[in-house]
Amino acid sequence: MVFKKLIRNRISLVGLVILLGFILIAVLAPVIAPIPDEFLAMDPNRDPYRIPRYGFSSTPRPPSPEHPMGLTEGQLDIFHGIVWGTRTAFKVGLIVVSVSCSIGIVIGSISAYIGGKFDEIIMRFVDVFMSFPFLIAAIVITSVLGKGLGNVMIAMIMFRWTGYARLIRGNVLQVKQDEYVMAARAAGVSHIKILLRHILPNTIFPVIIQASMNMGSIVVTASSLSFLGLGAQEGYADWGQMISYARNWILGAPGNPMAYWYTVVYPGLAIVLFVLSWNLIGDAFRDIMDPKLQA
Amino acid sequence: MLTYITRRLLFLPIVLIGVTLLIFFAMSFLTPAQLVSAYIKSPEELKNQSIQELVGRYGLDQPVWKRYFSWMKNVLKGDLGYSVSANMYVTEAIAKRFPATLELALFAVIPVICGGIWLGTISAKNHNRPLDHASRIFAIVGWSLPDFVFGLIILLIFYGLLSWFPPGRLSVWADSVVLSGSFVQYTGMNTVDALLNGRFDIFLDALRHLVAPTITLAYLWWAYILRITRSSMLDILGKDYVRTARAKGLTEKLVINRHVRRNALIPVVTVVGGMVLGLLGGVVIVETVFDYKGIGLLIAKGAERMDYTLILGTSLFYGVLLVMTNLIVDILYAVIDPRVRLE
Repeated sequence: MVFKKLIRNRISLVGLVILLGFILIAVLAPVIAPIPDEFLAMDPNRDPYRIPRYGFSSTPRPPSPEHPMGLTEGQLDIFHGIVWGTRTAFKVGLIVVSVSCSIGIVIGSISAYIGGKFDEIIMRFVDVFMSFPFLIAAIVITSVLGKGLGNVMIAMIMFRWTGYARLIRGNVLQVKQDEYVMAARAAGVSHIKILLRHILPNTIFPVIIQASMNMGSIVVTASSLSFLGLGAQEGYADWGQMISYARNWILGAPGNPMAYWYTVVYPGLAIVLFVLSWNLIGDAFRDIMDPKLQA
Repeated sequence: MLTYITRRLLFLPIVLIGVTLLIFFAMSFLTPAQLVSAYIKSPEELKNQSIQELVGRYGLDQPVWKRYFSWMKNVLKGDLGYSVSANMYVTEAIAKRFPATLELALFAVIPVICGGIWLGTISAKNHNRPLDHASRIFAIVGWSLPDFVFGLIILLIFYGLLSWFPPGRLSVWADSVVLSGSFVQYTGMNTVDALLNGRFDIFLDALRHLVAPTITLAYLWWAYILRITRSSMLDILGKDYVRTARAKGLTEKLVINRHVRRNALIPVVTVVGGMVLGLLGGVVIVETVFDYKGIGLLIAKGAERMDYTLILGTSLFYGVLLVMTNLIVDILYAVIDPRVRLE
């Protein structure tokens, strides 16, 4: 029913179509941007996420028939980077969202179910985590763990679960006093069973939706960290890193400020469209889920 | 009211201790040898000393709780270690760079709050008309533009193409005036200092350098405040007392300004804390893009060189700053909305 409404709404339909496009690109990446034969000949086990490098000059080269989006700093193929970067984006987003959401749901629901002092302590703990700007917190953790996309994901998970914990806690607190929970408790059902069978099925859905709508912002933060040089390793297909390559060329050549436009426009467009699609769907979702706006 | 504030103040030390524990926890990922740099007082200490000796001297091989207390003692004395990438003490670097960031944040906050509320009101008054849809699209698109992409595009257009707003904090000529002896740096904020010194040309130059980073830092929150104001205005417009106000024949302007907007602003105040949090995180990207020498650029450069002493010190500073801001926002909230303090 929700899905039907999403399709009927023009704004969210646009979001769904863009998202579907990205999913297709990610799935078909080996077909759309295969590793070029000359690179495969050199190294049969080449990681497809490594962007092919065509030469050693640092100056970017404009789009041409062989390289439809041009070559960015270090002669890296922009088209290849964008196609495989789609997979990186989904990978980072899905892992961070699912792991942090699971941690948040476990801690938040247990905290609310037990209640009392325990709940109070957990929530103060959450407050402390939430008093750091997300980006700064991620920088702190990556700087002590070391650079790399894996550590960036760990850092984001460490500071993302708190929001979901707070959300599910509020929902569980409301449901906890409902009659069917009381009835189950009176019937002698174990605490774990009450939580898993009766409380979570009634509280988990909005939290999961909320979490999946955060895919866009997670991908932006991960790209920001790559942009700052903390994330993906050199030459790895990652949108944020491709934009950091564009930084030195943004002002163009003397007399032609737009000389290297393709270095920033293509990867920029990829990130913006990706995030936009999630936000369009999320915006429509909020309206559908909000009973106050139904009338 | 007084009990509300006292209760909030009593919570303050608990949250502050929590913040220090969190930073200390992050430090525990480092080996004792790596930690030495967070403890040494100056680079001279490293000469003629083995790392082992230093580890022993600062007690880095001792149990966790002992290390926490000795670290806290240093922090309370204002000693956050020596930063390799900034080439000075961390506290010194923060004191030097913070005014620039504060200036940027202040220039961003004021237009965001005023502009966002204004646009939100217009959008609510024109509910479901083209203007409302336009504002909705502006908000969603704004929300989807990552700041480093937006900043680079602004740089491309307004500096590369039009050369209106150059990066940095001041032009070279203005910088030499500011650093000369005759110019007194009262606050470290260039616009304020220029006015206090009566140098209007420097004020304009500083302002010109602030435009692009301010817009980049602010547009996202503009969209956010707009949406919040809009939905809370719509909420209030349906209330009985608004109908009463209209029924007794008040003009539409009076109804909106006196009865609706005042009440609609309450939810807006709650997001101000989150906004400050976001702005202070956003400066890392914005200052990097525009080469604006504030704390954000300091952190970005430090992170690039894995200068964890600097990162840990500045984030501790940030944590304390934000806890304080949140306290002020909470108190303001209680002042505006009497229901809160009665809870």
